[in-house]
Amino acid sequence: MARVPALLVTHADLGAALLRAVAQVYGPVDGVEVLSNEGLSRPALEQEIARRVDGWPAGGLVLTDFFGGSCHTCVQSVARQRDVAIVTGVNLPTLLDYLHNRDQYAVWDLAERLQKKGQESIRLQRGQNV
Amino acid sequence: MSWQLHRVDDRLIHGQLVIAWGHVYHPQRIVVVDDASAENEWERDLLASAAPDAEVRVRTVAEAAREYAAEAGAGGGAFLLVPDLATALALVEAGAAVPRFNLGGLHYAPGKDKINDYIYLDTADRRAARALIERGVALEVQDVPASRAQSLTALDPLIATA
Repeated sequence: MARVPALLVTHADLGAALLRAVAQVYGPVDGVEVLSNEGLSRPALEQEIARRVDGWPAGGLVLTDFFGGSCHTCVQSVARQRDVAIVTGVNLPTLLDYLHNRDQYAVWDLAERLQKKGQESIRLQRGQNV
Repeated sequence: MSWQLHRVDDRLIHGQLVIAWGHVYHPQRIVVVDDASAENEWERDLLASAAPDAEVRVRTVAEAAREYAAEAGAGGGAFLLVPDLATALALVEAGAAVPRFNLGGLHYAPGKDKINDYIYLDTADRRAARALIERGVALEVQDVPASRAQSLTALDPLIATA
């Protein structure tokens, strides 16, 4: 199965920082593009997203930081006419799971897997006297 | 109480509006005034999905101007959102008595001058700003509630001669 490419679209430098963090756990990362919305108008951000996903021969995943933010709404606009699955609320466990599974799944199956992984990754633990 | 915020923001509904301003004012309605979005079903759905806690109405300038006064007397709070100063001016010229606009995001495009990190203006923007001010509309630059509001004319002296 062909590798599913990914683009990370986030506020500020969250995407780049996530990628640096994930590299410490996973090792060197290739094939993941990062884009920040900083300083970009809606049309400019949409153009930057489109330019990247249009380079994908068979679709891919766009990971954004939170549902309803400008990163997400711009990705939604671009995804309208493209073979792209969107996963919102990206975190370190999701990104790691993407890297570990991007060669074994089709785009949508991988997106569903990441959603589950992200939701399961938030857990509660009690400290003393809580 | 109705109108709580009138905002010029080229990103329309996004995190700053929903998270930062939304958590201060808890609007029941968000009225997006943009002819292009109003005529595009996909855009309307997209805007609605970006603000799950409020009713999103996407209106043309003409529709918004017609409905403006009635909304001012409606129950609950409302935000009004335009993508640029030209739309803000068109709305006021069409009869909406907007007292002030918050300038929250007009990002860089070729030919625009930097006013601060999130406001960039060209001559057409400045002319629209001046026309709004001449009509008695206050223009305040402020991205999020926690930052300080500043008068646009204080930040950009070129408005006065545009």
